[in-house]
Amino acid sequence: MEFINLVLNSFSLLLSPQILIYVVAGFLIGTIFASIPGLTATLALALLLPLTYSLDVSTALMACSSIYMAGMCGGSITATTINIPGAPSSMMTALDGYPMQLQGKGPLALGHAAFGSMVGGALGAILLIALAPFVAEVALLVKTTGKFSLLAFAIIVIVIAQRGKVVKAGMAACIGLMLATVGLDAMEPMTRFTFGSSELTAGLDLMPMIIGTFAISEILIQAKSNGCAEKMVDALKKIKICRRDFIPPLSEIRKVGLMCYLKSSFIGYAVGTLPGAGGSMGSFLAYAETVRTSDEPETFGKGNPKGIVASESANNAVCGGALVPMLTFGIPGDPVTAIMLGVLVINGIQPGPQLMSGQAELIAPMLASLVFSALILIPLTLYLLGPYFIKIVAIRKDILYGIISLLAVVGSYVATFSTFQMMMSLVMGILAYYLRKHDFPVITLLLGFILGPNLEEFLRRSLSLSNGNPMTFFTNYDSLFFVILTLVFVYFLAIKKPMKKPY
Amino acid sequence: MLLNKNIIFYFLLFFLSVGYFVVAINLGAPVVNNGLQPSAFPLLIGLFAMMFSSILLYREIKLIKSKGSCLAVDSEINETASIKDRLAPFAIMLSIFLYILLFSPLGYFLSSLLFVLSIIIIFSSVDKVIQKIIISTVIVAFGYLVFEQMFNVRLPALWG
Repeated sequence: MEFINLVLNSFSLLLSPQILIYVVAGFLIGTIFASIPGLTATLALALLLPLTYSLDVSTALMACSSIYMAGMCGGSITATTINIPGAPSSMMTALDGYPMQLQGKGPLALGHAAFGSMVGGALGAILLIALAPFVAEVALLVKTTGKFSLLAFAIIVIVIAQRGKVVKAGMAACIGLMLATVGLDAMEPMTRFTFGSSELTAGLDLMPMIIGTFAISEILIQAKSNGCAEKMVDALKKIKICRRDFIPPLSEIRKVGLMCYLKSSFIGYAVGTLPGAGGSMGSFLAYAETVRTSDEPETFGKGNPKGIVASESANNAVCGGALVPMLTFGIPGDPVTAIMLGVLVINGIQPGPQLMSGQAELIAPMLASLVFSALILIPLTLYLLGPYFIKIVAIRKDILYGIISLLAVVGSYVATFSTFQMMMSLVMGILAYYLRKHDFPVITLLLGFILGPNLEEFLRRSLSLSNGNPMTFFTNYDSLFFVILTLVFVYFLAIKKPMKKPY
Repeated sequence: MLLNKNIIFYFLLFFLSVGYFVVAINLGAPVVNNGLQPSAFPLLIGLFAMMFSSILLYREIKLIKSKGSCLAVDSEINETASIKDRLAPFAIMLSIFLYILLFSPLGYFLSSLLFVLSIIIIFSSVDKVIQKIIISTVIVAFGYLVFEQMFNVRLPALWG
């Protein structure tokens, strides 16, 4: 209850014009990035990460959470109007949104997407606020051996969640773990893998890692796909959107039914809590469940508004869910929460169970911003600026990537004012580019890098406490719990037959 | 071409894993007095990396063998990708590399102007250069406003 009061009090921070500007600007940037196919909220966060140096942690996290929420709903605009999802999480929205557009019901589809995003985002954030303190209390019970098993669980689940490319995901995670071992050893005064370079003694910085992996690699990938941009701009010229398109009539909302909103939001939230799942999986599962329980499953994929609502409610509810493991255990569930974790680390704050109990005043404003973004900014932004997003999407690609390149490369200079970090960003960008080109999921690389130091430290401490006996991971109940959980996930994600795609 | 490139990439990953593992061995004994030493974790990671890269390599070799000659695939792929598209990522890598080298000596404005102009040209074409120079100047000025004026980041100047 104390934490809920803290969050409620944090809403007053939004009355400060400076903070409100950062939150609103973050939301607008997130929506713009999510609505432009090829750009994502992750890229927006990676580019803006260096700027968080000059902000206080709470304000930076508030802006990050509004970008996160915006990133989930912005993609629905192009998914519905031209069948090109602006963000991967809006893929399922396009299945029913675009057929509705073709039937002349485009405005209604946009309205359902906006309202679904609002409901899902708000429910996810409220569930997070209500449940996170309890999870954090439970997290405090996890001791050293349990912490190792938990981190191992997170990495294994993220790897096996990459269906069809588990070996590649494992390799990418190993590269991330390898990079995490560069520099001074955490427990003994000894440097590793520095090859005599004094600049590597402190290890690799998180900032060039994030900018390289998500921004520079994206620029390199987009350089190869110039052709489809012109077709997209042509398609966009034919589309006309009005403000009122983003408000669905009450009768249409009733037709969809409250259960569809609630069930999809809960599915999205639950999926979000799993490491590596993300918005795409959340919307896919919610969509599949809506089709499964529908009386008329044959109408899905042909313009059923329930499909749009299920997808958008779920992907926005994922935001709340994904923040649970990040805030309570220090385990990011997706690239956005990994970057948000980076904001904490860069500011010298150690994420984990102690964060919620010891520094809840830093976290509460972020959650207030998440609710504010869902309830106020989603409807307001889409209503006021929705029609203009179509024009923004049609921005010249050369100018867009000129701006992004400048922000990415100069951004990596900001951390240490050294060109060495800029060079590291380039190296990481080239590595991530080749990995992505060969279909390796770079999220596992980043998570390996972020979780690596703690994974090693807890492994060594656990074995040191047990006098080198590896059975300690099975005899301690907290550790055993995560070992069993890992086995359960391995069974369901890697051994059991995957669920059939609805379409 | 693609299949060959895959093989080369997987070989590189395999060599990277082996190299990492060898360096980890040279860090010393992994276990001393029942306690893990700094080399233990890297050895474990190196082993996993070698295992994953070997599987990828094995699968790729098996795929090539099952498809017979990869030359047919080569020609198909070559037709679909234009030379400009294939060279664009390398041109960007070179642009960023040169930008980083020139960032301190030339200062923010001049180096950034050249960099942004090069990126714009890579993403479009060499025509309407004057217009592109003007756009680049506006972008660089925007970057200056964001970093130096809004967020108080001290950027290098030509005069030191």
